[in-house]
Amino acid sequence: MRRVVLLALALSLQTGVAAAQEMRPFTTFRQLHGETRLHASLEYAAGALRVAPGRPTELYRMDLAFDGERFAPISDYDAARNAVSLGLRRGGTGGVRVVSRGQLQQSANIAFAPSTELDLALNLGAVDADLELGGLRLASLDLQTGASRSVVRFSRPNATRCRSAELTSGAAELSVVGLGNSRCDRVVVEGGVGSVTLDFGGTWSSSARVNVRMAMGQLTLRLPRRLGVRVTMDKFLSSFDPAGMVRQGNTFTTPGYDRAERTLDLEVTAAMGGVRVEWLEGGGEKE
Amino acid sequence: MRARSAVAALLLLGAALPTTAAASPGSFPSGSNAAELVRNFWDFVAQGDDDRRAAHPKPQAIEQAPDGGPAVDLSDLSQPTALEARLKPALTPKSGPIRLTVPGGTARLGDFSVGSTESVTGPLLVVQGDADIYGRLLGNLVTVDGDVIVHPGGLVTGDILALGGDVRDLGGEIGGEIRTLRSTTIFAQPAAAAEPPPNALETVFRRLAGVIGVFLTLAALGFGLVTFGRTNLEVVSDTVSHSFGRAFSTGLLGQILLLPTFGMLVVGLILSVAGILLLPFAVVVYGLLVVVGALGGFLAVAHAMGETYIRRRLALGAVLGSPNSYRYLTVGLGALASLWLAWAVFGWVPVAGDLIRGAAFLVTWLLATTGFGAALLSRAGIRENFAGRLIPPEALTDEYLWATPQFGVPAARRPGGTRTPTRGL
Repeated sequence: MRRVVLLALALSLQTGVAAAQEMRPFTTFRQLHGETRLHASLEYAAGALRVAPGRPTELYRMDLAFDGERFAPISDYDAARNAVSLGLRRGGTGGVRVVSRGQLQQSANIAFAPSTELDLALNLGAVDADLELGGLRLASLDLQTGASRSVVRFSRPNATRCRSAELTSGAAELSVVGLGNSRCDRVVVEGGVGSVTLDFGGTWSSSARVNVRMAMGQLTLRLPRRLGVRVTMDKFLSSFDPAGMVRQGNTFTTPGYDRAERTLDLEVTAAMGGVRVEWLEGGGEKE
Repeated sequence: MRARSAVAALLLLGAALPTTAAASPGSFPSGSNAAELVRNFWDFVAQGDDDRRAAHPKPQAIEQAPDGGPAVDLSDLSQPTALEARLKPALTPKSGPIRLTVPGGTARLGDFSVGSTESVTGPLLVVQGDADIYGRLLGNLVTVDGDVIVHPGGLVTGDILALGGDVRDLGGEIGGEIRTLRSTTIFAQPAAAAEPPPNALETVFRRLAGVIGVFLTLAALGFGLVTFGRTNLEVVSDTVSHSFGRAFSTGLLGQILLLPTFGMLVVGLILSVAGILLLPFAVVVYGLLVVVGALGGFLAVAHAMGETYIRRRLALGAVLGSPNSYRYLTVGLGALASLWLAWAVFGWVPVAGDLIRGAAFLVTWLLATTGFGAALLSRAGIRENFAGRLIPPEALTDEYLWATPQFGVPAARRPGGTRTPTRGL
């Protein structure tokens, strides 16, 4: 009897919570009308975010489930500039909700046409983000994260040359996987508090320069052995394990750096924390 | 409705398949049977659609609102929730039919279609109906509680927004953005009227229940503390009694330094790199220590208050039960609760109620700060430096008290052997 009463109580509570926390589904997309370039700006306040290549017939698409009392979707396309703003911003009249993480399950799936050159700018708040940018035609990337956990993947080679990728993380955990596939000429990473992992695996088609500035936290560099790597380290209250690289002053180089066909120049500034190097074998596997 | 139709169709399929199999065992159904099966299936689906359409009101134009009446501009659909909020009052009039002006456009109630040879200019609003586009719509399209179907050859040059519906592109061309908010609150039943605010008597009972509940909880925690950590509680309590000002100052300083200390702890752990792993545990432990310090200190203050009061009563010759820590705590908590009970009873009185609440809060904060400070000073009851216990209780034997000179003359060494416990005398 007691179990039955407890079960009934639990069910009634669950129903109440579900009713109060209903998410609103919202979808926006635009047919592809021969656009060759798109400036996409993503602002996402809270929840889970997935970005990936989309259908070839659509310029972009966003499927969103959001808390209508506290947030409002962003969906605005400017045909004159070929620019779209997507995402989710705080709004409404619901005030601040104090609930467990599981009860606030906002989510967004955003996709872009794989055939259109994309300038992508993301501003993320309290977000669990998984950004699969491999297979897109990414011309530039600007990622700013707040208190988030973000994974940026280049699982497939970028279909076009990328001018620059600038990634700024606040109190966050940021992982960038497959930077070799990004084909970015210039990569700048600024880490606040937390951990940053940069995986330079993938297919390198040219040499690259990467600038990393860490304020406080752990930086992990996963470097392919086949590349010639030079790390210029400027550190204060930070530890660095060169993991087999040859030191000359503040510069650490791999033994075959001068003869390497492709080189990777890393300038690392670390204020407080640690810098760790892990080596990737030819196929990008971790040693 | 559609889901019900689909389920019915599946049931039909389930019922039909065995029949077919039985009609010609060991062979595939004939072409005519298969065609009939598919026809029946689509009949059911179409019937479902008809049922749904039947729920839509009769197609008609929505009359324009008179001057000053509701008007909704559909030229910008980029903020669907804001547009929904603007449409809601216009589409749910308190009395009479819907009257709405769409500047430069058309508003329709019920299903609406643009024929293949037709062309509609300006924004189009379709309420409680589907919009079937076979021809050309030169502008934005908004449906409320209905779908948008763009058929092959159909063209919508502007944006489409479906509030409480879906957009189905069957091969037409859509020049603008397609937005779908699948649920809409426009025609949702209004939520139950908010409960009227409780009257003064209800307010008093609710507050009384709240105050009693809080102090009963504190009493339960205090009794637990007396049972399992009596010595520590007594030392903190004595620290409050003997070093009240010092304890308050320490508590105040402790409150101010709580956050910087926490920051230093976090930074220190991060700096040590290996300590990063300990960070989550350290944060939890720090939080627990603060809570235990504040709560234990507050209970110690209640203990001290009760002890002082009872000792004074005893000194005046009052006959009380055994003076023990449980009684001290009960009396102290009762005294602390009295202020909040006063607020519970008289809190509804304008001005005076706020003053009582302010006083209760101030006194509670003062005592909690003192208790926190005493807990810090006495290291949670381990250190007796400020508790007025210059001689450990174990040393207070009868012989010592009787034989020890009073004016600073060194006492003779106390012989070893059994000691007479005098605690509580």
